[in-house]
Amino acid sequence: MKFNFFHLMPWTDYPREPTEWPVSNKEFEPERGRQLYADYIDCMAYAEQCGFDGIGCNEHHFSPYGLMSNPNLIGAALVHRTKRVNLAMLGNLVPLLNPVRVAEEYSMLDVMSGGRVIAGMMRGIPHEYIAYNVPPSDSRERLREAVALILKAWTEPEPFGWEGQFYQFPSVSIWPRPYQKPHPRLLMSGTNEESVEFVAQHKAKLGIVLIADLALARANIDLYYKVARAHGWEPVPEDILIGHHTCIADSDEEAREHMRKALDYFHHILMRPQRSAQELVIKKTRYYQREGSSDKFQARLATLRARSLEEQIEAGSVYCGSPETVAAQMRRVHKALGHGTEQLTMKVGNMPDKVVRRGMELFRDRVQPALKDL
Amino acid sequence: MPFERQELNLPSGKLSYFVAGSGAPLLYLHPAGGFSVSKPLEALSERYKIFAPVTPGFDGTASHADVTSMEQLADLAARFAEHVIGKRCDVIGQSFGGWEALWLAVKHPGTIDHLVLEAPAGVPAGGKGGLPSDPAEARRKLFAYPDRAPPVTKPVEQLQGNRRMLDHYGAASLSDAVLPARVAAIAAPTLILMGTKDEIIPPETGRFLKEQIAGSHLAYVYDAAHVIQSDQPERYLRLVSAFLERGDAYIVNWGSSAASAIPGGTT
Repeated sequence: MKFNFFHLMPWTDYPREPTEWPVSNKEFEPERGRQLYADYIDCMAYAEQCGFDGIGCNEHHFSPYGLMSNPNLIGAALVHRTKRVNLAMLGNLVPLLNPVRVAEEYSMLDVMSGGRVIAGMMRGIPHEYIAYNVPPSDSRERLREAVALILKAWTEPEPFGWEGQFYQFPSVSIWPRPYQKPHPRLLMSGTNEESVEFVAQHKAKLGIVLIADLALARANIDLYYKVARAHGWEPVPEDILIGHHTCIADSDEEAREHMRKALDYFHHILMRPQRSAQELVIKKTRYYQREGSSDKFQARLATLRARSLEEQIEAGSVYCGSPETVAAQMRRVHKALGHGTEQLTMKVGNMPDKVVRRGMELFRDRVQPALKDL
Repeated sequence: MPFERQELNLPSGKLSYFVAGSGAPLLYLHPAGGFSVSKPLEALSERYKIFAPVTPGFDGTASHADVTSMEQLADLAARFAEHVIGKRCDVIGQSFGGWEALWLAVKHPGTIDHLVLEAPAGVPAGGKGGLPSDPAEARRKLFAYPDRAPPVTKPVEQLQGNRRMLDHYGAASLSDAVLPARVAAIAAPTLILMGTKDEIIPPETGRFLKEQIAGSHLAYVYDAAHVIQSDQPERYLRLVSAFLERGDAYIVNWGSSAASAIPGGTT
């Protein structure tokens, strides 16, 4: 089992429940922001010393949910703070961006890091389309064309032109090309049938986060294998990344106390303002093109929000407890899903950094050794 | 579609109004310059039936004896809407008319479906802005592109009379002592438009309203001074049409008309 340390870079001090998205930034304090970036980058780099195999970054816009509007900047900050770990860019929200720029920045990171980049090609969550004024109804086709263009930019040795539906570039020849040959491995999110098929068709790693139902996740993984085989390739367990909110403390009681507070902030402060904007996109556009996908998306978030911590642990949505408890929880989920990469989000909401760091050390000393056989 | 002038007899006096187009009703409240037809209004009349009452005392009309404040003017607009439109309608208030529209939304919320405020007066501006008394200076601040402004067809005396009516309604200072504390009650979906070059109503006004009116939207129209619909008619029409059609969901790009923000990309 490989382990990633994932960070959302949340703003931890938002004073009230925000109801509007985008969230007004008048509560942002620059000096507090500077300190958070410094602490978060230190913490992410520390993951290498705690035995993690990768560090995950991601992109979100316009709210205290995360301060990483461009994950590539954080990736660049981590390149020279780490030597061994993968830099999992999970990722750039490709349909919102200039694909040639994505190809260039991922290539820069890959070369600078000596080939440690995992290239996330994310479609993004619905409301992000408002941020960059891109039609959500085109998101899937934009992603498809953008990924094709990025792969071409990474692998085509001669300058080439691109005349597509969404993108037109008369002449492209990026410098640098990627360090990895032929290019960094792709990773895409797959939380419904529509997206899982897309991931497998692209021979990408499969990422699943915020699991509400282990059986549903298992069904998506089975579909991933099935579609991959139909496209002539065989995924390995390491290609399947499952993300979990995680709190590891010295005792079960301590972990649960921290996690309850952190999840409360996560769901009621950080996630709250996105709901109305997501509904606008989901109900008013063809973001989800397959019937039922939008209902499932909203139902999954509502389910997670409504469940008690104990119910979330039981459902395999979060890991929480002493090192031995968490190792047992991970073993149970692994038995259900058979995945080979586990991604831990330990900075959940406003979880104190000292709790996060203690959890990382307990992971290194008592969780990872207990799972050597996986 | 041409605007036709009509009259309504109300207990307070005769009220002139212009009407054009067909479709859902749209109440347009004019600025301190009086009523004039702009390209966006003409375009909107293809999808909306526009009703534009002439503020008593403006454009050569008689004032109403018991209508002497912006608040009373909004009451009059509500009576007009009740008599002539007869149902909830969208409202566009421009500058002075935006002030009136704010009072209308505060006191008669049942009148308004969607509310568009174009550089509205009447609320705090941080001590900035204001309408110069010198006509040439005022015109310079009204329009970033005077060549795009509608031709001046009104007699000078009528324009001077319009200006005097600001005093009649207690509006010469462009600020209202009472209204700012009331706007937080506005519940209608609201779009606040501000020109990036507006020196008459500064950004502080837009920020104040955005902060006070829950769920409202603030949009800056680039390269427009105070009369946005004259300086940037296409941008104005794009925003207002989308908002009137989709309400709060106008912020989601439907891919039909809005240009992509992506270099090298198209929608």
